[in-house]
Amino acid sequence: MLEIKGLSKSFGGIHAVSNCSFGLKDYVITGLIGPNGSGKTTLFNLITGSIPPDKGEIYFKGNRIDGLLPYKVAQHGIIRTFQLTRIFPKMTVLENMLLAPLHQTGEILWSLWVKRRRIRDEEKAYREKALGLIETVGLSHLKDQFAENLSYGQQKLLELGRAFMADPKMILLDEPTAGINPSLIRKIMELILKMKESGKVFFIIEHNMGVIIELCDWVFVLDNGEKIAEGKPKEIQNDPRVIEAYWGV
Amino acid sequence: MDFLFQSILNGILAGCIYALFAMGLTLIYGVLNFVNFAHGELIMWGAYFLYFLMGKPFGFPLPIALIPALLLTILLGIGMDRFVFKPLRTANRLTLLIAALGLSFLLRNGAQFLWGAELRTYGFEIKRGLRILGISITLNQVAIILTSIVCIVFVYLLFHRTRLGKSMRAVSDNLELARVMGIDSKHAIQFAWVIASVLAGVGGILLALDTNLQPGMGLINLVKAFAATLLGGVGNIWGALLGGIVIGLAENLGVLVISPGYKDAIAFGIMVLMLLIRPSALLGRQE
Amino acid sequence: MDLFLHLCVMIIIYIIFAMSLNLEVGYTGLFNFGHVAFFGISAYTSALLSLQQVPFELSLLIALAMAGLWGFLLSIPSLRLRGDYFGIVTLGFGEIIRMVFQNEVWFTKGPMGLPGIPKPILFSYRFATLSQYLLLTLGFAALTFLILRIILRSPFGRVLRAIREDEVAAEALGKNVFFFRIKSFVIGSLFAGLAGTLWGHYTTFISPGDFTLLETILVLLIVVLGGKGTEWGPVLGAFVLIFFQESLRFLRLPAEWTRYLAPLQQMIFGGLLIVLMIFRPEGLLKEKGRGSNAGN
Repeated sequence: MLEIKGLSKSFGGIHAVSNCSFGLKDYVITGLIGPNGSGKTTLFNLITGSIPPDKGEIYFKGNRIDGLLPYKVAQHGIIRTFQLTRIFPKMTVLENMLLAPLHQTGEILWSLWVKRRRIRDEEKAYREKALGLIETVGLSHLKDQFAENLSYGQQKLLELGRAFMADPKMILLDEPTAGINPSLIRKIMELILKMKESGKVFFIIEHNMGVIIELCDWVFVLDNGEKIAEGKPKEIQNDPRVIEAYWGV
Repeated sequence: MDFLFQSILNGILAGCIYALFAMGLTLIYGVLNFVNFAHGELIMWGAYFLYFLMGKPFGFPLPIALIPALLLTILLGIGMDRFVFKPLRTANRLTLLIAALGLSFLLRNGAQFLWGAELRTYGFEIKRGLRILGISITLNQVAIILTSIVCIVFVYLLFHRTRLGKSMRAVSDNLELARVMGIDSKHAIQFAWVIASVLAGVGGILLALDTNLQPGMGLINLVKAFAATLLGGVGNIWGALLGGIVIGLAENLGVLVISPGYKDAIAFGIMVLMLLIRPSALLGRQE
Repeated sequence: MDLFLHLCVMIIIYIIFAMSLNLEVGYTGLFNFGHVAFFGISAYTSALLSLQQVPFELSLLIALAMAGLWGFLLSIPSLRLRGDYFGIVTLGFGEIIRMVFQNEVWFTKGPMGLPGIPKPILFSYRFATLSQYLLLTLGFAALTFLILRIILRSPFGRVLRAIREDEVAAEALGKNVFFFRIKSFVIGSLFAGLAGTLWGHYTTFISPGDFTLLETILVLLIVVLGGKGTEWGPVLGAFVLIFFQESLRFLRLPAEWTRYLAPLQQMIFGGLLIVLMIFRPEGLLKEKGRGSNAGN
């Protein structure tokens, strides 16, 4: 589904990502690990178009997407979450969700006058779906609250739910379990597994090895911007190169 | 040909003044990370403070009145920060800028209230200039260039040779890191306001010497100062210097081809041009 | 009675002006500090056309188109910029447009202004008297309010607010932020133009001095005082501020006082902006957590 070939990006003299090549398969949860500063988030940013690569190509479902603007990448079906959650603070939980679907007729200015019925129907359908997802992530009681009033953990759930709402082909999760308590971690893992069943592909950056081992079918390891290993989680755990990267031994 | 050289001289002259404006503006931007919309009024009030001290009932001659005028300008600059910008340090950007705009409007009308909207001058007669190499340059203009150079050298020394200057650069680079490293950001910020006020005040006085004073002079000079900082790279004090000179030259050479009524619009035009050509430093995803 | 009607007309014109700015600043989070430019461009366009006996329906449309066009032209190079920069560019634009009005004497008669702007004849009905004009402006204001309400309560409006809240997140959800901002700015410019046209035909005499920073500050103050990002905020703000401004004008004070009164009043506006931003940036009407209105 996702193909990365020879991707490189430098900032000043620092090689954030060096000649990386990856392939992500369908129906698989893939993990991305590596010590701090190894280039994981930069890689995500390159995929989603937040920053353009210096060299290399990125293909998604056969289409070339490197260098596209973020909104275009999203429209291809790649949705991401952020390390520090980005929800819309002065908008309600429900509204946050309703923003997610792509290509809404009601977002086109002219349609507001000529396609009123279609918009109304779409809104109704979106609203139902949103309420359902809000229920799934367990935020029903907060649906009319401004998102800024939610706790950090609740915001993470909202961001996740919003990503699901966009009906993406691939979801990039940037440290989905960072900074939250164990029971919430469990809940998020369950949600991810559930979504996997409906065919969504995940690419997850994580520091929590337990989460990686339980969730991921395949793992890539970055160190200093280079891919140093890939394989099943259990294999990676015992790979000497990985151990050296993390512990410097 | 003489005409061309004269324009170039005038351009450099104006450019020095704009450089002072731009350096002050970019200094505050560097340290506090916002464009001070009231910077033009700091310039304007600097000029008016001198006017005030030179007029009744004081009647001080320029050299005597200069220092107090600058001190008053510093007071105004620090006051701006203390009463308007400091309370809004953590507010969102729009709120801060609206407040700055309101401040600018308040100060502009304050000057109009006190001195009226008419054009005023410091009252020095226009003396014949010296003719050097076919171009004319008055004593006033020599003073302007010299003063600007002094200020610029002063800023350089301050920034690169003093501890406070180094703190300012650190704070400008990374406020959080500077704080963590124990660099006194509060004093660095105050010091930045002092320098910016002096630069603005001197620039305003020089401008008023070369042209005139009126309460509305702040706005257009803010735009010019900003265009200059944009040219030189926002936050880069030496870039601001260069940008100022470029704007000054562009204005004075520009009026050779376009109507003088739009002289002030040239800076704006340059700004828009820069935005169209789009150096990526200006755009891109922000936080 | 005449004073009362005059007050109403001014308030309503400024309600339209403020609603247009509210769309840009309050809902989309654009730092537009040059809104008066579009007010003026439309006023001059409509005045010039009407003075050439162009029927009002046509001159209005062209005036609106001009305002929208210039909004579009201004936003293309500058809307990708970060807030402060966009603020300065719009501020500069406002000044430049005023310069154009002043300098292009062959076109705009410069500082002498354009007198004798005819009262509008819309669909064969002449809106000449005060009460007739009030009806006209009321009609347009209601139309503006309804149109903007439809836009703001729609998914389109939702995206605008999302852009205001977090444009990075909005972009990550597939919204072309730049495109939405342009649309918002053009619509805002259009309605600012409507207000300008109505104003020009009301006062029947316009000059460059009518389109200065003061008007921008005033409309900005109206928007933030009333409560930016709310539907009724601009209405409330306009009532309060225009009432204040116009009543001072009619106090019939000695002429020498005006020299001091005008800057004093404007100092109050500036000071009010500062105080508002420090103590109550949301303004009078707060944006409500959109309770049961969500999705409607």
